[in-house]
Amino acid sequence: MRPGRQLAVLGFIFVVLYLLVFFSGGASGGFKDRLEPRLGLDLVGGTRLTLEATNSLDGKPPTAENLEEARQIIESRVNAYGVAEAEVVTEGNRNIVISLPGENRDLTDVGSAAELRFRKVLKAADGSGAAAAPAPTPTPAPSGTASPAPSGSAKPSGSASPSGAKATASPSAGGQGGGAPAPSASASGFAVAERRRAVAERQRRAGAAGRRGAAQGRRAEGRRRRVAGRQRPAGPGRPDRRPVAGREAQAVRHAHAARGRRAAGEMQFTVPTITCAQLDKRPPASIKDEKQKAVACEDGVQKYLLDVAKVLGTDVGDANAVLDQTSSWVVSLDFKGDGQEKWTNLTREAFNNEGQACDQTALGQDGKCRVAVVLDNKVVSSPEIQGVLTGDSQITGSFDNKTASALASQLRYGALPVTFEAQEQQNVTATLGASHLRAGLLAAGIGMLLVIIYSFFYYRLLGSVIFLSLVLSALLVFGALIVLGRQIGFTLTLAGIAGMIVSLGVAADSFVIYFERLKDEIREGRSPRSAVPRAWIRARRTIISANAITILSAVVLYIVSVGAVKGFAFALGLATVLDLVVVFLFRHPIMTMFARTRAFLSPRVSGLGRILPPARSEQATRTSRVKEA
Amino acid sequence: MAKTGLASRLYAGEAGLDVIGRRKLWFGVAGALILIAVLSFALRGFTLGIEFAGGNSFQVPASVGTLDDAERTVDAALASTAAGAEVVTAQKVGGTGGDFYEMRTSQLTAEQANAAKTEMARAFGIQPDQISGNQVSEAWGSQVTSRALLGLVIFIALVTVYLVLRFEWRMAVAAVSSLFMNLILTAGIYSLVGFEVTPSTIIGFLTILGFALYDVVVVFDKVQENTRGITANNNQTYGEAANLAINQSLMRSLNTSVVALLPVGGLLFIGAGLLGAGTLKDLGLVLFVGMAVAFLTSILLATPLLVLLKNYDLRIQAHNKRVLARRGALAGGETTPKGTPRPAADGDEPVDADAALAGATPKVGARPAGKRSTGARGGRPAGGGGNRPGGAKRR
Repeated sequence: MRPGRQLAVLGFIFVVLYLLVFFSGGASGGFKDRLEPRLGLDLVGGTRLTLEATNSLDGKPPTAENLEEARQIIESRVNAYGVAEAEVVTEGNRNIVISLPGENRDLTDVGSAAELRFRKVLKAADGSGAAAAPAPTPTPAPSGTASPAPSGSAKPSGSASPSGAKATASPSAGGQGGGAPAPSASASGFAVAERRRAVAERQRRAGAAGRRGAAQGRRAEGRRRRVAGRQRPAGPGRPDRRPVAGREAQAVRHAHAARGRRAAGEMQFTVPTITCAQLDKRPPASIKDEKQKAVACEDGVQKYLLDVAKVLGTDVGDANAVLDQTSSWVVSLDFKGDGQEKWTNLTREAFNNEGQACDQTALGQDGKCRVAVVLDNKVVSSPEIQGVLTGDSQITGSFDNKTASALASQLRYGALPVTFEAQEQQNVTATLGASHLRAGLLAAGIGMLLVIIYSFFYYRLLGSVIFLSLVLSALLVFGALIVLGRQIGFTLTLAGIAGMIVSLGVAADSFVIYFERLKDEIREGRSPRSAVPRAWIRARRTIISANAITILSAVVLYIVSVGAVKGFAFALGLATVLDLVVVFLFRHPIMTMFARTRAFLSPRVSGLGRILPPARSEQATRTSRVKEA
Repeated sequence: MAKTGLASRLYAGEAGLDVIGRRKLWFGVAGALILIAVLSFALRGFTLGIEFAGGNSFQVPASVGTLDDAERTVDAALASTAAGAEVVTAQKVGGTGGDFYEMRTSQLTAEQANAAKTEMARAFGIQPDQISGNQVSEAWGSQVTSRALLGLVIFIALVTVYLVLRFEWRMAVAAVSSLFMNLILTAGIYSLVGFEVTPSTIIGFLTILGFALYDVVVVFDKVQENTRGITANNNQTYGEAANLAINQSLMRSLNTSVVALLPVGGLLFIGAGLLGAGTLKDLGLVLFVGMAVAFLTSILLATPLLVLLKNYDLRIQAHNKRVLARRGALAGGETTPKGTPRPAADGDEPVDADAALAGATPKVGARPAGKRSTGARGGRPAGGGGNRPGGAKRR
């Protein structure tokens, strides 16, 4: 390739890179804003969210292992590429604190459990709750209206208690999050019982219109007491600082969840007054048990009775947000070996409607069963199965780019072993701050200056080639940082800045290899003009091998490691690749061009002069050598 | 030539240092240092930063004053209640619930934390229950370390394969051993001096990986070039050729190291001098130590080790004998060798230092490469060389 063409390629790369810097998606604001790389928590501060574990099974705090597992999953969710410099730590025995660089980032999705279940739709009904008030109020309609509907003996109590529990759960959840000191453990157990009694009281009042309602309320109270009794032992042993209201709400929810699991979801389905608004407010993971039938809603309108879950989120191998043919966002699913088989079986079952399990109301247009994709306790979509699916599948729904990506990453990184409740989101200031940023940049400046002084001293005119290439590398790295910051959230911490400084120094190394080769060639008695291409061929081999090793280390570390090391490996690989770009597309052509100029031929200017013996002619060199031998 | 100073001889690549001949010395020194380093790991261990150990956090309402004042006060309170404890980071946290300062400290016991809280409250003049405290897990979990180590192992395996393909197995073994020595010695310095190990240190440590091998590859590249087809003539032993390669690439190695160390020195200067401590200093320090060690090991350990391994190769052994025999015959004849040969320090391969010194031996592989590439290939015994595993390497 001619030198001009290589320089043109480099110019093209530059133009594209800086067009991306200024005009790619996410670029906004003035000239200066567009030139700002993403800086880390240590330099500019960020957003923090505390997640508090609300283990739905009992009141105990999650085990340390579970909490650590959840921490790791959350970390991979917020930091999928490992370059976002997020900090995820556990605090106390039930909190996880997530910090992301940059103010006012949205972190609310991060802590959701995302239990994915594929369940066949058995029955469908209207769940919009025309009769019941959609907004939860402390005195709900439930018991009064609920009682007349059911006929079976088991149903009344079953229906009344979840709805009653629901009614207490929602308002108290709203009032939670103050941070008052914890009540004593025994008091909390008592409070639960107290609260329940109050609920029953209210229900009794609400149902006073009809005797049957009242009677049922009483019966329901009996049931609830028993639930509360079962709950009570779990109450102590939760040494936390939840406010009273929150603690109660949690306990009630636990009771509800426990009961919902025991009493099959069918009751929730048959009772028309259990609306989707209520069902959607259930805490995450309340219909987690895959061996139980469940009730869930789609779009807050359609209420479904769902079969046991035959395919689980853990069967999903990979999930990605993609645009389908109709250019709407879907989440494509790829099942693991075992899961693929389960999925095929499930779709076959649904397609053939084996055992006429699906009710007439639940069939799709073509008379086939539907399979609901249940995320946590909501139905994301419930497509009719058009055939036995043996390959990958898609979850469709009303997604946009963001929600589809969020769902995909939740599925990809698995469900959390613990259920969390997000606390208030906060902004935090930098740990190190602007003075360290300035110091880092100063260090970069000093380092570069030293390298440039050294290279001018040692290589004279050739030093200017080193100088220009360093400037070019720096510009390339800077542009890449900005673009990658926008595309994959690449974040620069102080350590990253230091790494970039070092990598620029290492980039200068490849010059030394080249120029020393050049010296060798000239010492051998070649003219600079012919020495340049020969030295290039040999130096290239060394440079490529040496850089290949660095790239290898970067790739291995990036793939294998987690956390800060992953981010480091990415930066190292990036810097090395850019170094190679500069070496091939800038230094070599510029040296070829230099070799044609008169100045370069004058050894004194080029810094190659000293290696020539005093006689300074090719012939003289040869003879002197022969004599030595 | 002898009149010129060391600097210009270095510049010209003709310093004539006898590295290979003194290899027993280098091996001895390296062995002793590694022994010291390993002993130090066992006895002294490392000084770990709090990022690895977890710690405590205290939330102080922002009404107590500026962040800096609050940090100083908390530091003082910690110093009086728990020896050695200190504030690691101080941040202002703002939300709808009001602003507060959060101080992350080194790890405290429950009693220490309570005492510190009381002391802080007294110093700030607020109620103790306005300060909340908690245990915080380590940001750099054990998983990060274990995965980084796993990555290290995989990298070494892959890089060995690469070096075997690119050079040959003996060079791969020599390069990887010198990498190990490099890592052990660097870690040993950290353990002995008691520098604090932080995440930045680990990251810097991983950077050395690539750099150490970079140096070795530069030297081995030259060795390979100098010894290509060495068995075809009787002019120099493998050790001499390798020594020549070291001398020729010494300036290059020195230069690459200096150029890489200059910015690191800048980091260290700013980090330690201006800021006192922190990321810049940690990273600068480990890189400085590691790169300096890498330069020394690539010259003093990797190549001598390679020569040692090579001398076990039967073909090279025979070649060395042949060279020495020829030299002996010449010496026995009317021509007197220049300078007295050094007393043979090594059993199997006495190195004629002067021969290697003055560049007296023809620079194999350095001169008429255009013709030689075919010529040497033809002149070599079948399957000869042994140091060129692949075919079309030279392009």
